[in-house]
Order: sequence, then C-alpha cells, then structure tokens
Amino acid sequence: MERAAGGVSYQRFPRVRIRELKDDYAKFELRDTDASMANALRRVMIAEVPTVAIDLVEIEVNSSVLNDEFIAHRLGLIPLTSAAAMAMRFSRDCDACDGDGSCEYCSVEFHLAARATDSDQTLEVTSNDLRSTDPKVCPVDQARAYQHALGGTEPFDTAAAADQRQHPLPCCPIMDIIAKKLGILIVKLRRGQELRLRAIARKGIGKDHAKWSPAATVTFMYEPEIRINEELMETLTLEEKRNLVESSPTKVFNIDPNTQQVVVEDAEAYTYDDEVIKKADAMGKPGLIEINAKEDSFIFTVETTGAITAYELIMNAITVLRQKLDAVRLQDDDADLGELGAHLVGG
Amino acid sequence: MFCCISTVPPFPLFFWLLSFRYAPPPPPPPPPPPSHSHSHSHPIQSAAVTTVAAAVDDDMERTEEGEAPAAKDPNASLPSPTYRSLAAPVTKPVDKFALLPAFLKVRGLVKEHIDSFNYFITKGIRNIVKANNRIEARNNPSIFLRYNSVRVGVPSVQVQYIAEKITPHFCRLTDRTYSAPVLADIEYTVGKQYELKRKPNFIIGYLPIMLRSHACVLNGKDEAELARYGECPLDPGGYFIVKGTEKVILIQEQLSKNRIIIDTDSKGRVIASVTSSTHEIKSKTVIFMEKEKIYLQLNQFTKPIPIIVVMKAMGMESDQEVAQMVGRDPRYGDLLYPSIQECAFERIYTQKQALQYMDDKVMYPGAGNQKEGRSKSILRDVFVAHVPVESGNFRPKCIYTAVMLRRMMDAILNADTFDDKDYVGNKRLELSGQLISLLFEDLFKTMNSNAVELMNKTSEKIHSSPLDLSLHIKENIITHGLERAISTGNWDIKRFRMHRKGVSQVLSRLSYMASLGYMTRITPQFEKTRKTSGPRALQPSQCYSLGVEDLSLLSGEEIHASGSFLVMFNGLILGKHRQPQRFANAMRKLRRSGIIGEFVSIFVNEKQDGIRSFDDFLRDGLIEYLDVNEENNALLFRADSLLYLLVYAQRPLLTTKTIELVGYDKLGAGQNATVAVMSYSGYDIEDAIVMNKSSLDRGFGRCIAMKKYTVTKEKYEGGYSDRIVKPQRDKDGVLLKQNMRALDEDGFAAPGLIIRNHDIYVNKQTPRNTKRDSGAHLTDRDYKDSPAVYKGVDGETTVVDRVMLCSDTDEKLIIKCIIRHTRRPEVGDKFSSRHGQKGVCGTIVQQEDFPFSERGICPDLIMNPHGFPRCKINLSKRFFQPYINNTSSRVEGYTGKMIELLGGKAGVSCGQFHYGSAFGEPSGNADKVEDISRTLVKHGFSYNGKDLLYSDRYFKTVPKSLFCLSGILGHPCQAYVFMGPIYYQKLKHMVLDKMHARASGPRVLLTRQPTEGRSRDGGLRLGEMERDCLIAYGASMLIFERLLISSDPYQVQVCRKCGLLGYYNHKLKASYCSMCKNGENMAKMRMPYACKLLFQELQAMNVVPRLKLTEG
Repeated sequence: MERAAGGVSYQRFPRVRIRELKDDYAKFELRDTDASMANALRRVMIAEVPTVAIDLVEIEVNSSVLNDEFIAHRLGLIPLTSAAAMAMRFSRDCDACDGDGSCEYCSVEFHLAARATDSDQTLEVTSNDLRSTDPKVCPVDQARAYQHALGGTEPFDTAAAADQRQHPLPCCPIMDIIAKKLGILIVKLRRGQELRLRAIARKGIGKDHAKWSPAATVTFMYEPEIRINEELMETLTLEEKRNLVESSPTKVFNIDPNTQQVVVEDAEAYTYDDEVIKKADAMGKPGLIEINAKEDSFIFTVETTGAITAYELIMNAITVLRQKLDAVRLQDDDADLGELGAHLVGG
Repeated sequence: MFCCISTVPPFPLFFWLLSFRYAPPPPPPPPPPPSHSHSHSHPIQSAAVTTVAAAVDDDMERTEEGEAPAAKDPNASLPSPTYRSLAAPVTKPVDKFALLPAFLKVRGLVKEHIDSFNYFITKGIRNIVKANNRIEARNNPSIFLRYNSVRVGVPSVQVQYIAEKITPHFCRLTDRTYSAPVLADIEYTVGKQYELKRKPNFIIGYLPIMLRSHACVLNGKDEAELARYGECPLDPGGYFIVKGTEKVILIQEQLSKNRIIIDTDSKGRVIASVTSSTHEIKSKTVIFMEKEKIYLQLNQFTKPIPIIVVMKAMGMESDQEVAQMVGRDPRYGDLLYPSIQECAFERIYTQKQALQYMDDKVMYPGAGNQKEGRSKSILRDVFVAHVPVESGNFRPKCIYTAVMLRRMMDAILNADTFDDKDYVGNKRLELSGQLISLLFEDLFKTMNSNAVELMNKTSEKIHSSPLDLSLHIKENIITHGLERAISTGNWDIKRFRMHRKGVSQVLSRLSYMASLGYMTRITPQFEKTRKTSGPRALQPSQCYSLGVEDLSLLSGEEIHASGSFLVMFNGLILGKHRQPQRFANAMRKLRRSGIIGEFVSIFVNEKQDGIRSFDDFLRDGLIEYLDVNEENNALLFRADSLLYLLVYAQRPLLTTKTIELVGYDKLGAGQNATVAVMSYSGYDIEDAIVMNKSSLDRGFGRCIAMKKYTVTKEKYEGGYSDRIVKPQRDKDGVLLKQNMRALDEDGFAAPGLIIRNHDIYVNKQTPRNTKRDSGAHLTDRDYKDSPAVYKGVDGETTVVDRVMLCSDTDEKLIIKCIIRHTRRPEVGDKFSSRHGQKGVCGTIVQQEDFPFSERGICPDLIMNPHGFPRCKINLSKRFFQPYINNTSSRVEGYTGKMIELLGGKAGVSCGQFHYGSAFGEPSGNADKVEDISRTLVKHGFSYNGKDLLYSDRYFKTVPKSLFCLSGILGHPCQAYVFMGPIYYQKLKHMVLDKMHARASGPRVLLTRQPTEGRSRDGGLRLGEMERDCLIAYGASMLIFERLLISSDPYQVQVCRKCGLLGYYNHKLKASYCSMCKNGENMAKMRMPYACKLLFQELQAMNVVPRLKLTEG
C-alpha cells in the first residue's frame, strides 16, 4: 500500500487508544481510518482468530437422558483456553499425524468419566469434569479457578482485580469450585446413570463453526459529534431544556446545575436514535442540536468467551489480518493482480 | 323479538354460570403464590359477600361441593389460578379472567370426552344391557339367559386364562388395545331340566378404555404416580389406545334431536321436521305444505299422508278440536282449511277410516302387529317417536303435532320465525361416549341374536347338548367390533342406519398444542365439499360457547292464550305455566342450590311462547380454541412411528393467558429468535428467512427426528419361525458383508451405533420351505436371508437410538428399532412464528456478514417486512372468511407479531415474561403497548423497537443521521430496523425428507414407465402442461426425446399389410405376423411401451388398432 504508483496515496496511520482492558473485555478507540479497516478488524475477530474447541467425541458409555450427538454438541461449545492456539497446527495440514488430528501438535485429548452413584441427588456433570491431557488447554472455568487457587491475577486484569478487592471472590481451590457446581453444565445424571467419553479438541476458526469463535461480542460504533447551538439554546426555558434532555432514551445530555446550561454528558451514550433532534424540531427550534457521525473514528467494544483474553483477541486479529494482507501482497509481487491491483493503488 | 334476551346474558354460557357462582377480585399486581392467597385475601372476600346479591350465598356452598372432587382430579394439572379469591365481585372485564382457570380446573380441557365416556361406562352401558337383558331360544322360551347387572372391569389382558392388568404405556409399546373386560352377572338355564345357574363376572367383551376415565388406571393419580406409569402429567387423556395407536373420537356436530326445525326444502316448501331419538328407536318426522295442503311424510309410508288424516287416526276426530289445538287465530284456521277440506274430500271422518286409509300406504304391510293394524303401530312407535304413548293415550302426540303445525304456520305468516340450522342452539355435539354407546348397543344385540341363532341350531340337531346359552355368547363380537370401528374410524351401524367414516383419527403428537387441538376438534355435519357459505360463516351464537343442551318447545291447545307458557323438558311438554319469568327464576334457584345439575339451562322463549328448560349432564360446556397452532415439536418420549424433538426448546418470552391455561409454556415447541425485520440478500423474498450460521452452530432450530422401524419374527405352520442370527463372519472374524456393521452379536442393531444407508438392522432369516413335516430339525441351509435393510439418506449420520422387543397379541416377536437423526436447519427447512407466518429458510449467512447493532446484538434471523401484511390476512381469513374483502382492512390483528417483538424485547431487558394478545388490551389481559414501550425506553431502546444496525452492503455513503450497521461493509443501514425476539417454531417439513432426484431407475412392471413418487425413487414427470410449453416453444426434438426415448422406449414388429403388431422369433431370427401368418411385410418400429400396451388392450376388447406405416 505504500506504493503511490499512478495515484494519490491513501495511506493513513491509524491510532488506537485503549480505554478499558479487562481479562475478557476491552474498549478502545480506533481513529484515522475508515469503515473498511474497522469492519475488517471486527470480522477477523469474530471469524478468523483461531481457538481450540472439542471437535471429535468418542462415547464409551452414555446412559444419560441426552443422546450422544446432543452431548457432543454441548461439549463442542465449551470454551477452552486457547492461548496456544495461534502456535498450533490445523489438523488438516499437520504433517505429524497425516491430518487425522491425533498428535500433540494439532490436538488435545480430553477425558470425562462421571457416574451418579447411589445418592438420591442428581449429579451435575459440568465442564469441570473434563480432564485435559495438556495443561495449557482446559475449560475456561477450570483455568480461572486454577488461577485463583494460585492466588495470581490474570494479565491485564487490573480492573477485574480492583473489582475483586472490593468484592473478594472466595479464593477456593479447584475442588471447591467443582463442589460448588460452577462450570458449564453438560448433563445431569440420575442415580445409576453414567457418562464416559474421550474427546479431542482441535484448532479451528469461527468461520467453520461458531464454537471456534473467541468473540462473544465484537461491535463498534461511529463516534458521534454533538454540537449544541448555544444561541438557540439560550432561548429555551429551563422546563424546555429539561424536556429536551429527557427526550433521549439514553443519558446523553444533562443540565449543568450551576449554569443551567444543556451540556453533553456522554456523547457515546447516543444511539443515533434522532429523538433529541426530533424533539428540537417539535419545539420549533430546528438546528438546536446537530449530531454527526465521525466517519474516521470508531469505538470498539470487545468481549471474549474466555478462550483467549480480549487483548490476545485484538492482537491475534491484527496478526491474522496482516497475514491475509501479506498473502495479497505476495500475489501482487507476482504481478498477476489484475483488477485487484488497480483497486489497491486507489485506481 | 329474538328470544331470551331477558334472561340469557350476552356472555358465554360458562362465564355466565360462573359469574353468578364465583365473583373474583382483580388479580393482584404480582400474582402471589396460591398458598399465600388465603389469608391475604380475607378482607376482600368478606367485602365481596356483602356486595353480591343474596343469591350468591347458595352459590358459595355449591362452589365447595363442586371444587372438592376437582382437587383430586388429575386433570387439574392445569395451572392453578394464581388469583386471590374467586368470591370477589366481578366489576371489570379483566376480573372475569380469574373464572377461566377455575372453570378449567373443574371441567378440564377434554373433560367433555371423559365425562361422556364415564357416563357410558357407569350408566349408559347398564341401560343398554337392561333394555335387552333377557334372551331366550326362539323355539323354547324356557331356555333363557338373563343379564342381571353389568360393569366395566379393570383394564387387563388375558394371558393363558389369567387376567393381567395393563397400563396405557404398556399398550402403546406393545401394539395392544387398552381395553377392559365388560363383566356381567348372568343367570341362565342349563340342560333339559332348565336348571338355573348363575355366573358372576362373565366377560361379554372387551371395551377400549378412554385414558383418564373412571375405568382407567390413571384416574385420580397424581403427577408422581403418573410418571411411574410412564405417562406425561400434562397429557389430558380423553383418547383411546387401539392396537398401539392413539385414537381420538372426534366430536360430531349434528342437528338437534327431538327438536322442531322449521325450514324450507329444495322445492321451496315450508317443512317442519323432528328427528326423534330414544333408546329404542330413531326416526325422522317431516310435515310439509304443498299446494296449501299439509302432509306428513314418514319413511314407513309410501306416500305423504294428509295431516288431518293423521290427527284423526290419533283420535282427534273433530276438525274443530284440531283447529283449536293449533290456535284460535283465524289466520291459522285459514291455513288449515285446505287440509281439512282434503280430508273431508277423501271421506275420512273417523279414526277407523283414517287408519284404514293409512294402512293402504304402508310400505311393508306384512310386518307388524296384525290385529292392531300396521299404521297404528307406526303412529305409536315411529311418528314423533320421542313423545311417549302411555296406555294408548295419543293425546301428547296430538298436542305435539299441533305445535309443529302452529310453528309451521307462524313461519308462513312471519318469515322471521324460521329456524336457522346454523344457530348453535339448534346443534348438538355427539361425543365419544354416545358414539361408543351406539356401537356397543349394536354389537351387544348382534352378539345376543347370534347366540340365539346358534342355540336354535344346536337344540334342533343334537338333543344331548347341554343347551347352555352362555356357551354361545361370543365375546369376540364386541371386542373386535369396537376395536375395528375405533381403529378404522368407520361407524357402520346398520341397526341405526349410521354410516360414518373418519369418526376416529390418530392423535397427532407433533406438539402438545396439536394433540389438544385434536381432542377439541369438532367435525361439522355438512359435507366438506360443498362450498355453501352458510355453515362456514361465523354465527354470532358460536362466540364463546358451545355446549348448550336441548329441547324443543311448544305451545298448546286452548292454552295458547297469551301470557301462558309451556314447560318443556328435553323435548317433552311437561305442562304450562302462567308466569314464565317467575318459573324460570325459581328453576334457576334450584340450580344454584345444587338440586338440578349445574349445566341445566333455563330460558324463556318469547318467540315461541314457551319456556324451555334443558338438561344435559353429558354434554358439558366446551371451549373453542381460537388459535390452534401449526404443528411443531413435542417432548414426549415414546415409540411413535415418527417423532421430532426440538433440541433446545424454550418457553415463549411473550405469552398469553390462554397459553398458560393450556400448559404450552411447560411444553414449548420453539425458540425465541432475535429477529431483524429488514430486507437482506434477496434470498428473503416470498416469506423466506435468512438465518445466521453461528446461531445454527449454537443449536438454534436443531431437532432430532426419531423414526420407528418394525420387524416381525413370523411364525409359520408346522412350528417353524423366522430366526435372527448374529452377523456372519469369516474365519478371521471379519464381517462377511459391510452392511452388517451396525449389528450387535445378537443380530439386532446395537443402540448407539451409527447406521448408514443400506445397513442391516435386524439380521433375520426365513425358512425356505415351511410346508415340510413339522418338527424336523432345520439346519442353516434351510434358511434364507431376509434381513431388514435401513433406507436412509446417503451422507447423513443416523444412529440407532433404541431397540425394543415385545410380543404381539399372536405371541410373535416384534422388534422395534428407533433410529435417530439429529438435524440442523438447512436451506429449505420450514419455520413459522406464531402468527401464521411461515417461511422457508432462504439462505444461511455467516455471522460476520450479518447486521449488528452498536450494542453488539446480532439477529438470529432476518425476516422480510413484506411478511407483516400476511399475518394480517391470515387473521382476518380465520375470522371473517366469507366477508374477507370488506372487513380485512379493519382488522388490526397483524400487530400481533409486532406486539410480540416489542413485548419480547422489553421482557428480555427487564427479566419478565410479558403478556401479549392483539385482543387482550381492552380487557386488560395483556400488557399495553405503551407500558412495553416505556420499559424499552427505560433500558435504553427506542420506544418503537427499532435499532440502528450496521450492515449495509449497498450504500457507500453513510447517511448522516441514521444509524444501524451491516456486517459486510460496516456501514449503517439506511433506516432503523425493527429488531427483537419472536418465538419461532420449526415445522415438520424439512428438505431432507423431500428432496429427490433420479437419473435412471425403477420402472413400473405393467407400463414400463418410470415409477412415481419419492418413496419409490420415481422419475420426474414431464406432464401435459410441460408438454404444452415445449410445443409452444417448438422444441420438437426435446419433446421427442422426453416422450419416446426417456420414458418407455420399445421396439415392435409391425405388419405393413394388416397394420397389426407381430413378434420377433429369436429362433428363426425373423419377424412374424401372427395375423397374416407370414413374415413378409414386417417392419421394425419404436414406440412407447405404453402405446403397444394400449393396442393390445384394445385388441382384447375386440377393437382393432391398425398402424399405417409410411417410409420415414
């Protein structure tokens, strides 16, 4: 893209400012770029950042009320810690095992064995009953419990840690967590029922199946730019100002208690619902408030399933996006880009 | 003028009854649990008693009586009302709703079926047996048998002379009939000394038992016990299990019996008809007026009889008396005059003359009581048969006839008094109990007459026989007769001239709603084929209530004096009363204090100058369901031949009170999908929906299809039977055939194994020769393979779910394999919201391409807004079918789906289930849209349910003010998008079951053309219309190829001389014409085999088709 052959360069230097970063949540601004860039990032986060998820289940015993496919489907949707996923191989192009997905480079084996013995209570089989053969890959809740047990906090989790200081979670070892029935429920067993299986987790991407998508929420909004016409505003009575402020379903405006002026309290709370503008029109003051979307700045909200941290998700997404662009660029060097070449140089 | 305004309030019947009996307070804002309710509501309750009229006091006692049995009633699995007290006054329409759960608790949803059956097994069957309790040998009345009492036993089967109790679920699994023995205590003579013997508990037959009736083992069981019996506590019962299938006897609608109906026939004559029905006889009496004269028409007479002759035959010899009885008004006299004149013209003045005249017109003069005269017995037994003639007193019949005449004349004088056949009050519903009782009566009589027949034969022949009538009673007649009728649905009862088809139907278990719908369905009595609008139109009287009961009315002799009214009871004139209103009030009081049945209805009929009171304990109040949803998936787990289970069924976010009453929220059959109403991708036209692939990955719309395959291990003569062998292996232990991989070592498919197309699921072998001497030992060679092969779809993974073994009634082994297939939605699968808005999945789109909102919400599916008017049309169609053009524009029902979306969205935001109904708002039974919008705004949504979505692939410039985003480019959509949760159901129509294509394949033996239909791997027909297109297009080669080559090409030998078909002699290698007896002039020709077949068939009919050939 650096080449400016035959046209103006459209190169820009996007800026990112992280506003909030927690273990599984991030909010950041992306500026000086356009929607194509922002959307590409969003799409990659949802569909192309690899994770590990259970892909093959061999059931040895299943006398539960749910059938084999049902349980297999539920197992697949359990998020597994996938920090190592970027470095793993896809089993389809793994040389070590000829693609059958059973070697350590491309797969992780899990075992689950549960049996409701004579107690009258139903036994809840959860993700905590899954036993991994690789400590790096395990159900997310297990990993979290383990972290707590070690007394450490997760990286980049300052906000969460601060949260915890205020509301300390009982710091419990993993067995306690299991006893407290945390974790993701797989099936409930009645007395005498049994579930025993072997599962293989593999690397994959969200495009193939949603279970591999690390993103719970990835969305962005255009940053709104709100302008208040102070002159017109002065013509309003306090009552009218209050009505105007309240016409927005979200808390965008407020009235300064000192100056009694309408001020923008939280521009980003605006949902582009036009209610305030309609209200102003209805009051006979068109142009009182003007709201525009800035076309080059975006506010991203990212939440992950816990498979990887929000930070990893963003960084991995950038890596993946870069690889994709590299792939395009490689083709470019071969000079058979055709129409796409003209596109890239801005033609 | 229209009757009973004064006494029958405009509410539905049951509302009316209950509103007198219970008066509830308004429901408290959050309904408290019922346990709290008592103390909580006390002050209000006492207030209620003071405000409600004194009459309520009686009612309160009644309430307690009525409720007590209901508490034990298992049908009370319906939600118990969460409202405070039923005794508070009804001030607002909303308050009335509390009555409905209470009503349903007492009556149940299918209670009318169960009550009707209970009546039959407790009373009806006794009456039938009692009426025919003695049979005797025809030639020797001393040989007799008497039924002293009869009752229905416990459901059981006879296994080697021991009765074993059975449960409904056992019957479903083993393909048996859930039936109980009908036990009679009999008394009969044995031997030549006519020694009297008694046999208690003599089985006269097996009666299929309705589930949850008194005779059913499930009667009165609580949820835990029901679960132990393998029954769903929510299952309402009310159906039968015959040979393992569940059968419902549909409610039959028909015209009232014992009621005078005034109408005009096809010739425009005024007719008065009565269909009489008593235990002994059913007859139809018609009186009509032709050329100003009035006649009686009865099928026992060859010709119509002048009515005055009939009156005279019944002893009314004086014309004046007749005229008086009809009415003093000279207009009646004028109308009657031509008839009287005709009678005089025939010179009939006395009863004797009249009877003689009628005797000449009797259809079967031979039969009947000779000394009395045939026509007199007809008048007594057939003519208006429900009016009894006691000790030869024909007076009541005369009065009744006069009433008929009078009503007829009223109708002539004033056309307003014609009866409307579609008026619900003129209709009666026939329920399972009555239908079974007809059948039973017929079979019981047949059984008895057969026994007598046999006795006559044996007593004539072998004099040494014990002459025991009880030996000739064959229980099979009743057992098989009932079983056959219920399982085929054909009610052919010659004795009652009844020939009805489709009376019973298989209970649909596709969803809970579907099952309930079957049990509350009513078959109309008019033929469905006729397009007459009359019966289809909405009758004002249909609203809210069905289930009023009977009677006809009258007016009488001199007593027609105005101000006096006749009292009728179930069609019989009991007497007259001068102050009808007072009489009706007094009767009502009796009803309230519980002396008369609670479903007796009493009203004053001003139009007909009479009081009617009607009675009915069989046919109870019955509620009509306005909205029977389309089928979907249920959660019952059994061996149905085909069952669909939804993997993650949910409870609807937006419910209605009806849904709660019915229990649908407990057995949901759909999922709450987040729906965006917008156009997307173009694959959403014609109601198609666009689905989010990630949602499907996560389980949306996923379902399990279970299919049952049954194999019988046959038994043959000589003690041979099929055998099931373990999969054959070679010496290395490798399976001989690949398709045995799903088999276990016992020769049956192993549960849990994957089974593919062409795999064997039961490895059965059949003896080659079953005619051999019995007892000979058979070796492996004597058996040939006859495995059951699974036919599935290639490429799909299906799994053996369960294998059940049981023996059928002939003690043959039955193997039922249930094969399970988990399906995720694919393009072409059908879905529907609850607003009659069905559509197929048009395309499946990746989540990243889907629109999303800035909150991060991404819809599960996208629906095209053009679908909304469709909801509206569906709704108006349902209610206003005949008038669709002029009323649809006023119906605002299409808002239903919109309200659901708004209510669902608000419900999700605030964590509450909302009520919604397009009709509920004014009555307060649903949340108001304003309130819902307020909740939305509180949670930061727009009041109108619209969101800004980013998605737009089509618009490059960002509209400045509007915002909602598309996944492909990330631009805001041009408009705000209406988005929120809507309950979607997956319908049973899935592409997988329908898709079909073939190249070459099987052909029909006779015509050699490709077979038809997917199940036979049939071809796709190029039919007449397609042919027309090709002709129009001039594609002659294509037509030639399609019709003559691709279908059934055949080569024939044609004789050019005689033009007939010859044959090719393969030995001589020459063609030969068998007509000309030589092989000259033969030509080869290609034609469709069907054409050659036609020629031959014509020849067989002595028609000679000759071909004239020219060189091509």
